[in-house]
Amino acid sequence: MSKTKTKQENETLTVKIYIMGSAHEVPESLTIMKAMEYAGFKIKRGAGCRAGFCGACGTVYRKAGDYRLYAALACQTQVEDGMVLTQLPFIPAPKGIYDVDSLQPTASSILKFYPEVARCLSCNACSKVCPQEIQVMDFVQYSLQGQIDKAAEVSFDCVQCGLCAIRCPAEIPQYHVGMLARRLHGKYNTSTPETLIERVEEIENGVFEEGFKELISLSKDGLKKRYTERDFVDQKKA
Amino acid sequence: MVQYSYFPGCNLKTNAKGFEETAIAVSKKLDAELVEMPNWNCCGTVHTLTSDNIMKRIAPIRVLSRSRKHIETLEESQNQIVTLCSMCNSTLKIVNNEVKKDQEILDKINYQLEEDEETYETDMEVKHFLEILRDIIGYEKISEKVVNPLEGLKISPYYGCMLLHPEEAKIDDEEMPDVLESLVESLGAELVMSPLFKFCCGSFHIVDQEDIVASQVEKIVEAAKRRGANALVVACPLCAYNIDQQQEAMAKNSVVKSPIPVFYFTQLMAIAMGEPVKINHFNDHFINPEPLLKELGLIGRKKAK
Repeated sequence: MSKTKTKQENETLTVKIYIMGSAHEVPESLTIMKAMEYAGFKIKRGAGCRAGFCGACGTVYRKAGDYRLYAALACQTQVEDGMVLTQLPFIPAPKGIYDVDSLQPTASSILKFYPEVARCLSCNACSKVCPQEIQVMDFVQYSLQGQIDKAAEVSFDCVQCGLCAIRCPAEIPQYHVGMLARRLHGKYNTSTPETLIERVEEIENGVFEEGFKELISLSKDGLKKRYTERDFVDQKKA
Repeated sequence: MVQYSYFPGCNLKTNAKGFEETAIAVSKKLDAELVEMPNWNCCGTVHTLTSDNIMKRIAPIRVLSRSRKHIETLEESQNQIVTLCSMCNSTLKIVNNEVKKDQEILDKINYQLEEDEETYETDMEVKHFLEILRDIIGYEKISEKVVNPLEGLKISPYYGCMLLHPEEAKIDDEEMPDVLESLVESLGAELVMSPLFKFCCGSFHIVDQEDIVASQVEKIVEAAKRRGANALVVACPLCAYNIDQQQEAMAKNSVVKSPIPVFYFTQLMAIAMGEPVKINHFNDHFINPEPLLKELGLIGRKKAK
């Protein structure tokens, strides 16, 4: 038999955090984002998917007795007692405007739109801050070296939160650089998958037209029924 | 096989691919394989002359530290990082010497590297590939590997500034160097000495004051040609670019008649050792060396003897 809880034990455990300088008692189990909402903040910018994928909720904080400046996604990070934090509603970093079809997968393409890449000091502040644990400095260096394939591969997990850009002493918008590298890599270094070519051909030949017509003609209940009864069996193999 | 931790530097992956590919090919032939270190970063050039600029010294120290780790994965390797670009060589050598002498500056840099577990213990030596060829492999062994002696090539060595200056980074005597000379001779080519062997190529002025580079290059090339040279040999991608590209520009304006090709020393070695021509990336050159090599029968024959 489990021991019965005392009243004190049954109370929600809270921690004290400082949001933009003012102290708030919040439940210790909350993420930074939920803690801010618990404390009464209405987040209009700086929140998106709430699941760690969209990169909209970059946050910077310090911990009690620790000189380091930490950064994280607010929706993915639990509050700690003594945290001093603020959320970043927006990271100012203009994007290069380019037509990927008219470029080459080279260092000069990167430097044309982001010449500041050449200012990289290899300090690695960007990698330390990355909530996705990407080796940001390495992909910036690969871009500078014209190793676009490696730059694309290393930056693949980027969620474009922009935290790297705010720590960079060379003022490089690393996340935009990675995006350009991946676009160049996709366009010039990789071939179109056969399955995609096949599928486009199938669509053009009207293979799915009847199926769609049938779905469109269904009533709401009919659609619901089809949805709940669906399975993920590969139709081709089945 | 003896292996070296090889640091390419940005030019070897962009403008000087032929330099890198030929170097790696001949290094294997000479039992001194250049193995590229993974995730290398910029060497930190141009070396800062401000003694308290720590930030600019982080890049070279990180390179040395990562190379030290790379060595753990290599065979029969000494604690040596090998470069091909003379600019990288110079920057890495200078900063390596600085931190070996100055514990305080090393500590400050290591504070920045400790979180990455990339602190540096000053246990590396920086070597230019030419130093490995001269001091460890030796010209005799190089000669032995020559199957296609470079007969008919009259080559003038051009050092530029970074191989011979400053004092703490030089690889040879600054007034009477002989490393490129001995190498050229060991490949069976004719050596042509020029007094302008280290006359500045114009360096980074290529970015905004091309006329300065043009005037320097004209003098360098004319001095070599007047003494009978039909080609130049260099070790620096920036020298190579300036001399090669400016000759083409001047030939278009009829300032220079009959420009001469510019070779990296490893390209000459690769041709002499019978490596495939394509690894030279001659199509990246402004003055294509192939017509001259064909005319002399050094490439394009069915089989080297």
